Amino acid sequence: MDYDFKIRTANERAKVEDLFDYEGCKVGRGTYGHVYKARRKDGSDTKDYALKQIEGTGLSMSACREIALLRELRHVNVITLIRVFLSHNDRKVWLLFDYAEHDLWHIIKFHRAAKANKKPVMVPKGMVKSLLYQILDGIHYLHSNWVLHRDLKPANILVMGEGPERGRVKIADMGFARLFNAPLKPLADLDPVVVTFWYRAPELLLGARHYTKAIDIWAIGCIFAELLTSEPIFHCRQEDIKTSNPYHHDQLDRIFNVMGFPLEKDWEDIKKMPEHPTLQKDFKRSNYSSCSLIKYMDRHKIKPDSKAFHLLQKLLLMDPNKRITSEVAMQDPYFQEDPLPTNDVFAGCAIPYPKREFLTDDDQDDKSDKNNTRTNQTNNGGQGAQQGGGGQSDQGNNHSHGGPNAAKRVRLSGPPGHPPAGQQNNIQQPQQQDFHHPHQQNMMFQSGNQQQQNPTFQQRFQ
Amino acid sequence: MAGNFWQSSHYQQWVLDKQDLVRERQYDLGILSDEEYQKIFIFFSNLIQTLGEQLKLRQQVIATATVYFKRFYARNSLKCIDPLLLAPTCVFLASKVEEFGVISNSRLISICQTVVKNKFSYAYSQEFPYRSTHILECEFYLLENLDCCLIVYQPYRPLLQLLADIGHEDQLLALAWRVVNDSLRTDVCLLYPPYQIAIGCLQIACVVLQKDLKAWFAELNVDIEKIQEIVRYVCSLFELWKTYDEKKDIQALLNKMPKPKTQPSR
Repeated sequence: MDYDFKIRTANERAKVEDLFDYEGCKVGRGTYGHVYKARRKDGSDTKDYALKQIEGTGLSMSACREIALLRELRHVNVITLIRVFLSHNDRKVWLLFDYAEHDLWHIIKFHRAAKANKKPVMVPKGMVKSLLYQILDGIHYLHSNWVLHRDLKPANILVMGEGPERGRVKIADMGFARLFNAPLKPLADLDPVVVTFWYRAPELLLGARHYTKAIDIWAIGCIFAELLTSEPIFHCRQEDIKTSNPYHHDQLDRIFNVMGFPLEKDWEDIKKMPEHPTLQKDFKRSNYSSCSLIKYMDRHKIKPDSKAFHLLQKLLLMDPNKRITSEVAMQDPYFQEDPLPTNDVFAGCAIPYPKREFLTDDDQDDKSDKNNTRTNQTNNGGQGAQQGGGGQSDQGNNHSHGGPNAAKRVRLSGPPGHPPAGQQNNIQQPQQQDFHHPHQQNMMFQSGNQQQQNPTFQQRFQ
Repeated sequence: MAGNFWQSSHYQQWVLDKQDLVRERQYDLGILSDEEYQKIFIFFSNLIQTLGEQLKLRQQVIATATVYFKRFYARNSLKCIDPLLLAPTCVFLASKVEEFGVISNSRLISICQTVVKNKFSYAYSQEFPYRSTHILECEFYLLENLDCCLIVYQPYRPLLQLLADIGHEDQLLALAWRVVNDSLRTDVCLLYPPYQIAIGCLQIACVVLQKDLKAWFAELNVDIEKIQEIVRYVCSLFELWKTYDEKKDIQALLNKMPKPKTQPSR
């Protein structure tokens, strides 16, 4: 390599640390790397940015895919990659995005906590509808460009805070996204288990070898249900996420417990699924004879004759061939019924959710820390929350948290030299709510939810 | 992104102007003639092709690697990075982007060593001099110079669509496909959108096979001028090949080629 060429390019190369302030402003971490809330040093704008430092050094395949795809994608509901920084000295890769203050993982967590404390959260009536509409819009764009997301879950659905894009959904974490119109290798060969189990379509759990648009749609259905009820609809205890076997008995059991066992006429091709023999061996239809989505949602006060329920049912069809497409879903009567979806999902109302917390430094690299803090953190958001410290904490092996991890979190004001962050939202962030603890599960059936009479606001967010 | 070529970085940033290309190559073309310059690029396209085949990569990946290679030198002199280092780096990067999977560094290096020794000994008397650290370092420079534009549209898919429209023509497809492969040894991938290249290559294949599809071509809504330019580029490559013996000439050309200086110039 030519010396003069190296010097010339080094002089031209912008360094992330020269352009941005981000020290002490970490807002997320996981297997994907670290995310910082950043501001421009030169003050040419005062916007917040998200700087993602990709885990490890050099260009991993998923970093490559993320850069390659995000470089091409442009849609209001898909996160925009603004810039890539390559740090030649330490071989780190940094991605610059617009900063999204919220995500559905935090939003739902907030609602759960509020519900448990019987304190209403005031949100606009059409918020869930607006969220769903924008998720569908973004996914429709990806799908029509032959990109599958493959890892849709609440933590990957970001929502913009105050600013010009207030209340706009941004689909993020495309690290696992891939082109699917002409895969050079069967998709299942590359990384066997990627999608979080709770949001995994039944055909994946039964060993489907190819990812499809329908798999993303199932995940959107799960997210929709979770928005309506504040509970992960297919919540399931998970011991071993790293298994290369797609078949997951407990997760299927959970799905059947909610949906009922699929009838042959409803899903004819189920017989062709690789794990169908195992299914027949392990499951008895009669165990689920009293289960149905109608009953499940009705327990959560979602009426079976509502338009929301009808759409949910089409998103959560067991047979992937019958599942609705994003395009058709966007035309659903649900979106034509009052209240209409809004571009600002908060519809101009005050945003009740707290801003992202900064994670302290001893949270991260304290390798001498021999207690389970470290494990906790690796798992926390390990599936790749693009921004924010969230992620499904339950996806790892830890089921007891709210302990060391929460204790180490502090609320700070904005980045150095910026106005304090949390002025308008004094609501205390619920401390690492134990989202998935078994006994918590009962709460959802008991918590009576008093519908707010106010036409604009209501307690729950349907 | 298989979706929309017209909104792609390929279309927006990497369909270059002939004049730009000439200007960017000014330094190299002060040392090499046009033809010598092209011969050097033919040689390295062949090297990339051979590396790709040894690594059992699909043609799509090989084509993408070749386009990376050509894009880098469309913006930089040959002296900036030794093409013998950049070629495997392009293969390495393309295989990740095209989802072939990560090629292990040691495998890449050992294949480079074998290929240079067994297939290109007429060009290199010494063994392949680079190690994986060089490739990894080079990869960052490559990505930077590509401006992170990694998704490359190739003429193969439009070609298949055209053939589907014409009807069942296996022989025509096979030949046109090979002409598209050959076109990677010209500048057309830097100058024209892939669907135009596909049409140009198809036209050449028709002429070779004496298939009269004039009426069908006339129906296509394309800039005939551009197609003819592409045809001329590819035909002049075929002309060059008639008289050119790479085995005999390449060593002298590689010696003449501008080379990196590892020390600062005065």
